Amino acid sequence: MEALPDEIIMRKVADGNLDLLKVLFDRHHRHVYNYLFKMSGDAMLSEDLTQDVFYKLIKYRSSYKDGAFVSWLFSIARNNLKTHFTRNHKYHEPVDVLAYKAVANDAEQREEYGQLHNALNQLSPQDRELIVLNRYKEIRYEELAEIMGSTPGALKTKVSRILKKLRIIYLESN
Amino acid sequence: MKSEKDKFISSQLPAYLDGLLSPKERQQVEDHLAVSESCRKELEELRMLFTAFEEEQVQIPSDRLRVQFDQALEQEKLSQSKVVQLGKNKGGWPFNLLKIAASVALLIAAFQTGRILEMEKSDQDVAAILEESLQIKQTAMLSLMENQSASKRIQGVGYIEEFPNPDEAIVQALAKRLLHDENDIVRLNAFEALTSLASSETVKSVFIEALGKEKNPSIQIGIIQALVKNKEKKAVAPMQRLLEQEDTQPFVKNEIELALPKII
Repeated sequence: MEALPDEIIMRKVADGNLDLLKVLFDRHHRHVYNYLFKMSGDAMLSEDLTQDVFYKLIKYRSSYKDGAFVSWLFSIARNNLKTHFTRNHKYHEPVDVLAYKAVANDAEQREEYGQLHNALNQLSPQDRELIVLNRYKEIRYEELAEIMGSTPGALKTKVSRILKKLRIIYLESN
Repeated sequence: MKSEKDKFISSQLPAYLDGLLSPKERQQVEDHLAVSESCRKELEELRMLFTAFEEEQVQIPSDRLRVQFDQALEQEKLSQSKVVQLGKNKGGWPFNLLKIAASVALLIAAFQTGRILEMEKSDQDVAAILEESLQIKQTAMLSLMENQSASKRIQGVGYIEEFPNPDEAIVQALAKRLLHDENDIVRLNAFEALTSLASSETVKSVFIEALGKEKNPSIQIGIIQALVKNKEKKAVAPMQRLLEQEDTQPFVKNEIELALPKII
Protein backbone atom coordinates (compact mmCIF):
# COMPACT_ATOMS: atom_id res chain seq x y z
CA MET A 1 0.00 0.00 0.00
CA GLU A 2 2.83 2.36 0.88
CA ALA A 3 4.24 1.98 -2.61
CA LEU A 4 1.08 2.74 -4.55
CA PRO A 5 0.81 6.06 -6.38
CA ASP A 6 -1.37 8.77 -4.85
CA GLU A 7 -3.91 8.54 -7.63
CA ILE A 8 -4.68 4.86 -7.08
CA ILE A 9 -4.92 5.36 -3.33
CA MET A 10 -7.22 8.35 -3.77
CA ARG A 11 -9.42 6.32 -6.12
CA LYS A 12 -9.75 3.66 -3.42
CA VAL A 13 -10.57 6.38 -0.90
CA ALA A 14 -13.25 7.73 -3.23
CA ASP A 15 -14.64 4.21 -3.44
CA GLY A 16 -15.03 4.15 0.33
CA ASN A 17 -11.73 2.95 1.79
CA LEU A 18 -11.36 5.95 4.08
CA ASP A 19 -8.46 4.54 6.09
CA LEU A 20 -6.19 4.99 3.10
CA LEU A 21 -6.51 8.75 3.52
CA LYS A 22 -4.05 8.32 6.38
CA VAL A 23 -1.42 7.27 3.86
CA LEU A 24 -2.04 10.39 1.81
CA PHE A 25 -2.05 12.51 4.94
CA ASP A 26 1.32 11.07 5.95
CA ARG A 27 2.76 11.71 2.53
CA HIS A 28 1.58 15.22 1.97
CA HIS A 29 0.49 17.09 5.06
CA ARG A 30 3.93 18.59 5.74
CA HIS A 31 4.25 19.88 2.21
CA VAL A 32 0.82 21.41 2.31
CA TYR A 33 1.64 22.95 5.66
CA ASN A 34 4.97 24.30 4.44
CA TYR A 35 3.41 25.74 1.31
CA LEU A 36 0.79 27.51 3.40
CA PHE A 37 3.38 28.64 5.91
CA LYS A 38 5.63 30.08 3.23
CA MET A 39 2.68 31.90 1.74
CA SER A 40 1.14 33.22 4.96
CA GLY A 41 4.04 33.24 7.42
CA ASP A 42 1.57 32.26 10.13
CA ALA A 43 2.14 28.87 11.78
CA MET A 44 -1.25 28.65 13.50
CA LEU A 45 -3.11 29.78 10.44
CA SER A 46 -1.18 27.31 8.28
CA GLU A 47 -2.04 24.52 10.63
CA ASP A 48 -5.74 25.43 10.55
CA LEU A 49 -5.73 25.72 6.80
CA THR A 50 -3.87 22.42 6.39
CA GLN A 51 -6.44 20.85 8.67
CA ASP A 52 -9.16 22.23 6.46
CA VAL A 53 -7.50 20.94 3.28
CA PHE A 54 -7.63 17.41 4.61
CA TYR A 55 -11.18 17.83 5.89
CA LYS A 56 -12.13 18.77 2.37
CA LEU A 57 -10.30 15.73 1.06
CA ILE A 58 -12.53 13.60 3.29
CA LYS A 59 -15.66 15.48 2.43
CA TYR A 60 -15.21 15.77 -1.32
CA ARG A 61 -13.40 12.46 -1.84
CA SER A 62 -16.01 11.27 -4.32
CA SER A 63 -15.52 14.36 -6.48
CA TYR A 64 -11.91 13.37 -7.14
CA LYS A 65 -11.49 12.95 -10.87
CA ASP A 66 -8.69 11.08 -12.54
CA GLY A 67 -5.77 13.46 -12.58
CA ALA A 68 -2.66 14.17 -10.60
CA PHE A 69 -3.49 13.93 -6.92
CA VAL A 70 -1.00 16.62 -5.91
CA SER A 71 -2.63 19.02 -8.35
CA TRP A 72 -5.97 18.42 -6.74
CA LEU A 73 -4.49 18.65 -3.26
CA PHE A 74 -2.68 21.93 -3.88
CA SER A 75 -5.61 23.40 -5.76
CA ILE A 76 -7.64 22.86 -2.60
CA ALA A 77 -4.82 24.35 -0.51
CA ARG A 78 -4.59 27.41 -2.77
CA ASN A 79 -8.34 27.92 -2.65
CA ASN A 80 -8.31 27.61 1.12
CA LEU A 81 -5.67 30.28 1.38
CA LYS A 82 -7.49 32.54 -1.04
CA THR A 83 -10.81 32.06 0.73
CA HIS A 84 -9.21 32.75 4.07
CA PHE A 85 -7.82 36.09 2.99
CA THR A 86 -10.98 37.09 1.19
CA ARG A 87 -13.14 36.25 4.18
CA ASN A 88 -10.99 37.47 7.06
CA HIS A 89 -9.88 40.86 5.92
CA LYS A 90 -12.17 43.79 6.26
CA TYR A 91 -10.60 45.64 3.40
CA HIS A 92 -11.15 43.85 0.20
CA GLU A 93 -7.70 44.37 -1.09
CA PRO A 94 -6.34 41.94 -3.65
CA VAL A 95 -5.63 38.60 -2.02
CA ASP A 96 -2.04 38.49 -3.15
CA VAL A 97 -1.25 41.82 -1.57
CA LEU A 98 -2.62 40.62 1.74
CA ALA A 99 -0.70 37.41 1.57
CA TYR A 100 2.42 39.38 0.91
CA LYS A 101 1.72 41.73 3.81
CA ALA A 102 1.07 38.85 6.15
CA VAL A 103 4.59 37.65 5.58
CA ALA A 104 6.30 41.01 5.43
CA ASN A 105 4.80 42.23 8.68
CA ASP A 106 6.38 39.53 10.76
CA ALA A 107 9.55 41.57 10.88
CA GLU A 108 10.84 40.19 14.17
CA GLN A 109 10.48 36.64 12.95
CA ARG A 110 12.45 37.23 9.78
CA GLU A 111 15.78 36.64 11.48
CA GLU A 112 14.81 33.13 12.47
CA TYR A 113 13.84 31.90 9.05
CA GLY A 114 17.19 32.16 7.34
CA GLN A 115 18.29 33.68 4.11
CA LEU A 116 16.26 31.62 1.71
CA HIS A 117 13.03 32.40 3.49
CA ASN A 118 13.85 36.07 3.50
CA ALA A 119 14.81 35.98 -0.14
CA LEU A 120 11.53 34.26 -1.00
CA ASN A 121 9.65 36.93 0.88
CA GLN A 122 11.05 39.54 -1.41
CA LEU A 123 9.39 37.94 -4.37
CA SER A 124 5.84 38.85 -5.30
CA PRO A 125 3.29 36.40 -3.80
CA GLN A 126 2.54 35.00 -7.26
CA ASP A 127 6.24 34.39 -7.98
CA ARG A 128 6.81 33.03 -4.51
CA GLU A 129 3.93 30.60 -4.87
CA LEU A 130 5.26 29.32 -8.18
CA ILE A 131 8.72 28.73 -6.78
CA VAL A 132 7.49 27.13 -3.56
CA LEU A 133 5.35 24.73 -5.55
CA ASN A 134 8.04 24.17 -8.15
CA ARG A 135 10.63 23.20 -5.59
CA TYR A 136 8.32 20.53 -4.21
CA LYS A 137 9.58 17.43 -6.00
CA GLU A 138 6.15 15.82 -6.32
CA ILE A 139 4.96 18.68 -8.45
CA ARG A 140 6.31 18.53 -11.98
CA TYR A 141 5.53 21.16 -14.58
CA GLU A 142 2.50 19.17 -15.72
CA GLU A 143 0.99 19.25 -12.26
CA LEU A 144 1.95 22.88 -11.75
CA ALA A 145 0.18 23.73 -15.00
CA GLU A 146 -2.92 21.92 -13.71
CA ILE A 147 -2.84 23.88 -10.46
CA MET A 148 -2.22 27.23 -12.10
CA GLY A 149 -4.40 26.69 -15.14
CA SER A 150 -1.48 27.27 -17.48
CA THR A 151 0.76 25.21 -19.79
CA PRO A 152 3.94 23.39 -18.70
CA GLY A 153 5.99 25.26 -21.32
CA ALA A 154 4.87 28.69 -20.21
CA LEU A 155 5.48 27.82 -16.56
CA LYS A 156 8.94 26.42 -17.30
CA THR A 157 9.97 29.75 -18.76
CA LYS A 158 8.35 31.66 -15.95
CA VAL A 159 9.95 29.56 -13.21
CA SER A 160 13.34 29.87 -14.85
CA ARG A 161 12.97 33.66 -14.93
CA ILE A 162 11.86 33.85 -11.27
CA LEU A 163 14.68 31.54 -10.18
CA LYS A 164 17.17 33.91 -11.79
CA LYS A 165 15.64 36.77 -9.81
CA LEU A 166 15.65 34.76 -6.61
CA ARG A 167 19.23 33.65 -7.14
CA ILE A 168 20.37 37.25 -7.35
CA ILE A 169 18.37 38.28 -4.23
CA TYR A 170 19.67 35.28 -2.36
CA LEU A 171 23.30 35.88 -3.29
CA GLU A 172 23.08 39.61 -2.53
CA SER A 173 21.81 38.92 0.99
CA ASN A 174 24.55 36.36 1.51
CA MET B 1 27.23 41.31 -22.79
CA LYS B 2 25.46 37.98 -22.86
CA SER B 3 24.81 36.30 -26.13
CA GLU B 4 21.46 34.83 -27.15
CA LYS B 5 22.99 31.43 -26.58
CA ASP B 6 23.93 32.42 -23.03
CA LYS B 7 20.36 33.56 -22.37
CA PHE B 8 18.90 30.35 -23.74
CA ILE B 9 21.27 28.09 -21.82
CA SER B 10 20.72 30.18 -18.70
CA SER B 11 16.97 29.52 -18.94
CA GLN B 12 17.66 25.79 -19.30
CA LEU B 13 19.81 25.58 -16.17
CA PRO B 14 17.02 24.91 -13.62
CA ALA B 15 15.72 22.05 -15.75
CA TYR B 16 19.31 20.85 -16.18
CA LEU B 17 19.82 20.70 -12.44
CA ASP B 18 16.46 19.05 -11.90
CA GLY B 19 17.38 16.43 -14.49
CA LEU B 20 14.41 17.28 -16.69
CA LEU B 21 16.30 17.70 -19.95
CA SER B 22 16.51 15.16 -22.73
CA PRO B 23 19.96 13.67 -23.33
CA LYS B 24 20.32 15.87 -26.41
CA GLU B 25 19.38 19.05 -24.51
CA ARG B 26 21.67 18.08 -21.67
CA GLN B 27 24.55 17.62 -24.08
CA GLN B 28 23.83 21.03 -25.55
CA VAL B 29 23.94 22.66 -22.10
CA GLU B 30 27.12 20.87 -21.12
CA ASP B 31 28.79 21.83 -24.39
CA HIS B 32 27.99 25.43 -23.76
CA LEU B 33 29.03 25.31 -20.11
CA ALA B 34 32.46 24.19 -21.27
CA VAL B 35 32.94 27.43 -23.16
CA SER B 36 30.92 29.99 -21.17
CA GLU B 37 32.27 31.06 -17.84
CA SER B 38 29.24 33.23 -17.02
CA CYS B 39 26.96 30.26 -17.46
CA ARG B 40 29.20 28.08 -15.28
CA LYS B 41 29.01 30.77 -12.57
CA GLU B 42 25.28 30.96 -12.92
CA LEU B 43 24.97 27.22 -12.63
CA GLU B 44 27.02 27.22 -9.45
CA GLU B 45 24.88 29.93 -7.92
CA LEU B 46 21.69 28.13 -8.90
CA ARG B 47 23.06 24.94 -7.40
CA MET B 48 23.65 26.83 -4.15
CA LEU B 49 20.10 28.10 -4.22
CA PHE B 50 18.72 24.64 -4.84
CA THR B 51 20.88 23.24 -2.07
CA ALA B 52 19.49 25.93 0.20
CA PHE B 53 16.00 24.79 -0.72
CA GLU B 54 16.90 21.19 0.04
CA GLU B 55 18.63 22.03 3.28
CA GLU B 56 15.97 24.42 4.45
CA GLN B 57 14.39 23.10 7.53
CA VAL B 58 10.95 21.81 6.79
CA GLN B 59 8.46 23.33 9.15
CA ILE B 60 6.83 20.62 11.22
CA PRO B 61 3.22 21.19 12.14
CA SER B 62 2.12 20.29 15.67
CA ASP B 63 0.62 16.93 16.58
CA ARG B 64 -2.73 18.65 16.87
CA LEU B 65 -3.01 18.46 13.09
CA ARG B 66 -2.75 14.67 12.97
CA VAL B 67 -4.98 14.15 16.00
CA GLN B 68 -7.71 16.30 14.54
CA PHE B 69 -7.37 14.68 11.14
CA ASP B 70 -7.71 11.23 12.68
CA GLN B 71 -10.79 12.37 14.60
CA ALA B 72 -12.39 13.80 11.48
CA LEU B 73 -11.64 10.60 9.62
CA GLU B 74 -13.17 8.43 12.32
CA GLN B 75 -16.27 10.60 12.36
CA GLU B 76 -16.58 10.34 8.61
CA LYS B 77 -16.20 6.58 8.79
CA LEU B 78 -19.07 6.43 11.28
CA SER B 79 -21.36 8.44 9.06
CA GLN B 80 -20.10 6.47 6.07
CA SER B 81 -21.17 3.20 7.66
CA LYS B 82 -24.64 4.68 7.94
CA VAL B 83 -24.47 5.75 4.35
CA VAL B 84 -23.40 2.27 3.35
CA GLN B 85 -26.43 0.89 5.13
CA LEU B 86 -28.70 3.26 3.30
CA GLY B 87 -26.89 2.33 0.12
CA LYS B 88 -27.63 -1.30 0.77
CA ASN B 89 -31.31 -0.56 1.17
CA LYS B 90 -31.21 1.50 -1.94
CA GLY B 91 -29.50 -1.32 -3.77
CA GLY B 92 -32.23 -3.69 -2.67
CA TRP B 93 -35.09 -1.72 -4.10
CA PRO B 94 -35.85 -4.15 -6.92
CA PHE B 95 -35.97 -6.85 -4.28
CA ASN B 96 -38.36 -4.74 -2.22
CA LEU B 97 -40.46 -4.18 -5.30
CA LEU B 98 -40.61 -7.95 -5.75
CA LYS B 99 -41.73 -8.29 -2.18
CA ILE B 100 -44.46 -5.74 -2.73
CA ALA B 101 -45.49 -7.46 -5.96
CA ALA B 102 -45.59 -10.79 -4.15
CA SER B 103 -47.78 -9.40 -1.39
CA VAL B 104 -50.11 -7.83 -3.92
CA ALA B 105 -50.32 -11.14 -5.79
CA LEU B 106 -50.97 -12.92 -2.52
CA LEU B 107 -53.73 -10.45 -1.69
CA ILE B 108 -55.38 -10.92 -5.09
CA ALA B 109 -55.06 -14.71 -4.90
CA ALA B 110 -56.58 -14.76 -1.43
CA PHE B 111 -59.38 -12.47 -2.57
CA GLN B 112 -60.12 -14.64 -5.61
CA THR B 113 -60.06 -17.84 -3.57
CA GLY B 114 -62.44 -16.29 -1.09
CA ARG B 115 -64.66 -15.13 -3.90
CA ILE B 116 -64.77 -18.56 -5.56
CA LEU B 117 -65.48 -20.28 -2.27
CA GLU B 118 -68.16 -17.72 -1.57
CA MET B 119 -69.63 -18.28 -5.02
CA GLU B 120 -69.70 -22.04 -4.48
CA LYS B 121 -71.33 -21.55 -1.16
CA SER B 122 -73.90 -19.19 -2.58
CA ASP B 123 -74.51 -21.64 -5.41
CA GLN B 124 -75.19 -24.23 -2.77
CA ASP B 125 -77.41 -21.76 -1.00
CA VAL B 126 -79.28 -20.99 -4.18
CA ALA B 127 -79.66 -24.69 -4.87
CA ALA B 128 -80.96 -25.20 -1.38
CA ILE B 129 -83.39 -22.34 -1.80
CA LEU B 130 -84.55 -23.68 -5.17
CA GLU B 131 -84.95 -27.11 -3.65
CA GLU B 132 -86.86 -25.59 -0.81
CA SER B 133 -89.11 -23.63 -3.15
CA LEU B 134 -89.72 -26.78 -5.21
CA GLN B 135 -90.69 -28.59 -2.05
CA ILE B 136 -93.08 -25.79 -1.22
CA LYS B 137 -94.48 -25.82 -4.74
CA GLN B 138 -94.89 -29.57 -4.64
CA THR B 139 -96.73 -29.34 -1.36
CA ALA B 140 -98.88 -26.58 -2.81
CA MET B 141 -99.48 -28.58 -5.98
CA LEU B 142 -100.42 -31.75 -4.14
CA SER B 143 -102.74 -29.91 -1.78
CA LEU B 144 -104.30 -27.94 -4.64
CA MET B 145 -105.02 -31.16 -6.48
CA GLU B 146 -106.98 -32.36 -3.46
CA ASN B 147 -109.01 -29.16 -3.37
CA GLN B 148 -112.78 -29.34 -3.65
CA SER B 149 -112.88 -26.69 -6.32
CA ALA B 150 -112.28 -28.09 -9.78
CA SER B 151 -110.53 -24.91 -10.93
CA LYS B 152 -108.08 -25.19 -8.00
CA ARG B 153 -107.41 -28.81 -8.94
CA ILE B 154 -106.76 -27.72 -12.53
CA GLN B 155 -104.41 -25.07 -11.21
CA GLY B 156 -102.65 -27.71 -9.13
CA VAL B 157 -102.26 -30.03 -12.13
CA GLY B 158 -100.92 -27.07 -14.12
CA TYR B 159 -98.05 -26.77 -11.67
CA ILE B 160 -96.48 -29.78 -13.35
CA GLU B 161 -94.71 -27.27 -15.65
CA GLU B 162 -92.62 -26.18 -12.66
CA PHE B 163 -91.20 -29.70 -12.27
CA PRO B 164 -88.86 -30.80 -15.02
CA ASN B 165 -88.34 -34.13 -13.22
CA PRO B 166 -91.46 -34.75 -11.14
CA ASP B 167 -91.06 -37.34 -8.40
CA GLU B 168 -93.22 -40.32 -7.61
CA ALA B 169 -95.54 -38.39 -5.32
CA ILE B 170 -96.48 -36.00 -8.10
CA VAL B 171 -96.93 -38.76 -10.63
CA GLN B 172 -99.18 -40.62 -8.15
CA ALA B 173 -101.21 -37.50 -7.49
CA LEU B 174 -101.64 -36.85 -11.20
CA ALA B 175 -102.59 -40.50 -11.79
CA LYS B 176 -105.16 -40.19 -9.03
CA ARG B 177 -106.64 -37.15 -10.79
CA LEU B 178 -106.74 -38.96 -14.11
CA LEU B 179 -108.33 -42.10 -12.70
CA HIS B 180 -110.70 -40.71 -10.11
CA ASP B 181 -111.44 -37.05 -10.66
CA GLU B 182 -115.06 -36.45 -11.45
CA ASN B 183 -114.32 -33.38 -13.55
CA ASP B 184 -113.56 -34.05 -17.21
CA ILE B 185 -111.29 -31.06 -17.56
CA VAL B 186 -109.23 -31.99 -14.52
CA ARG B 187 -108.83 -35.49 -15.91
CA LEU B 188 -107.90 -34.09 -19.31
CA ASN B 189 -105.32 -31.79 -17.78
CA ALA B 190 -103.93 -34.59 -15.66
CA PHE B 191 -103.69 -36.76 -18.77
CA GLU B 192 -101.88 -34.01 -20.65
CA ALA B 193 -99.51 -33.54 -17.74
CA LEU B 194 -98.77 -37.24 -17.76
CA THR B 195 -98.22 -37.58 -21.53
CA SER B 196 -94.82 -35.94 -21.19
CA LEU B 197 -93.92 -38.79 -18.82
CA ALA B 198 -95.59 -41.48 -20.92
CA SER B 199 -92.39 -43.48 -21.30
CA SER B 200 -92.38 -44.38 -17.59
CA GLU B 201 -93.87 -47.77 -16.69
CA THR B 202 -95.98 -46.28 -13.90
CA VAL B 203 -97.58 -43.79 -16.25
CA LYS B 204 -98.20 -46.49 -18.90
CA SER B 205 -99.98 -48.74 -16.44
CA VAL B 206 -101.99 -45.74 -15.25
CA PHE B 207 -102.97 -45.03 -18.86
CA ILE B 208 -104.00 -48.64 -19.41
CA GLU B 209 -106.08 -48.57 -16.24
CA ALA B 210 -107.62 -45.23 -17.22
CA LEU B 211 -108.49 -46.59 -20.66
CA GLY B 212 -110.67 -49.22 -19.01
CA LYS B 213 -112.55 -46.63 -16.97
CA GLU B 214 -112.54 -43.47 -19.02
CA LYS B 215 -115.80 -42.46 -20.58
CA ASN B 216 -114.77 -39.10 -22.03
CA PRO B 217 -114.04 -39.76 -25.70
CA SER B 218 -111.44 -37.05 -26.17
CA ILE B 219 -109.43 -38.42 -23.22
CA GLN B 220 -109.93 -41.95 -24.56
CA ILE B 221 -108.49 -40.92 -27.92
CA GLY B 222 -105.62 -39.08 -26.25
CA ILE B 223 -104.72 -42.14 -24.18
CA ILE B 224 -104.97 -44.44 -27.19
CA GLN B 225 -102.64 -42.21 -29.18
CA ALA B 226 -100.15 -41.95 -26.31
CA LEU B 227 -100.13 -45.73 -25.84
CA VAL B 228 -99.79 -46.44 -29.54
CA LYS B 229 -96.91 -44.00 -29.70
CA ASN B 230 -95.15 -46.02 -27.01
CA LYS B 231 -96.18 -49.32 -28.62
CA GLU B 232 -97.63 -50.57 -25.37
CA LYS B 233 -98.80 -54.16 -25.98
CA LYS B 234 -100.63 -54.33 -22.68
CA ALA B 235 -103.01 -51.73 -24.05
CA VAL B 236 -104.39 -54.18 -26.64
CA ALA B 237 -106.80 -55.91 -24.19
CA PRO B 238 -108.50 -52.77 -22.85
CA MET B 239 -108.72 -51.41 -26.38
CA GLN B 240 -110.44 -54.52 -27.65
CA ARG B 241 -112.80 -54.29 -24.68
CA LEU B 242 -113.60 -50.73 -25.67
CA LEU B 243 -114.34 -51.91 -29.18
CA GLU B 244 -116.81 -54.44 -27.81
CA GLN B 245 -118.53 -51.96 -25.50
CA GLU B 246 -121.66 -50.46 -26.98
CA ASP B 247 -121.36 -47.09 -25.34
CA THR B 248 -118.03 -46.44 -26.94
CA GLN B 249 -118.22 -43.61 -29.44
CA PRO B 250 -117.87 -44.77 -33.07
CA PHE B 251 -114.96 -42.44 -33.80
CA VAL B 252 -113.17 -43.83 -30.77
CA LYS B 253 -113.73 -47.35 -32.09
CA ASN B 254 -112.48 -46.15 -35.42
CA GLU B 255 -109.35 -44.75 -33.72
CA ILE B 256 -108.78 -48.06 -31.98
CA GLU B 257 -109.14 -50.01 -35.19
CA LEU B 258 -106.53 -47.78 -36.76
CA ALA B 259 -104.25 -48.03 -33.75
CA LEU B 260 -104.34 -51.76 -33.06
CA PRO B 261 -102.37 -52.89 -36.13
CA LYS B 262 -99.64 -50.40 -35.20
CA ILE B 263 -99.17 -51.94 -31.80
CA ILE B 264 -99.36 -55.56 -32.88
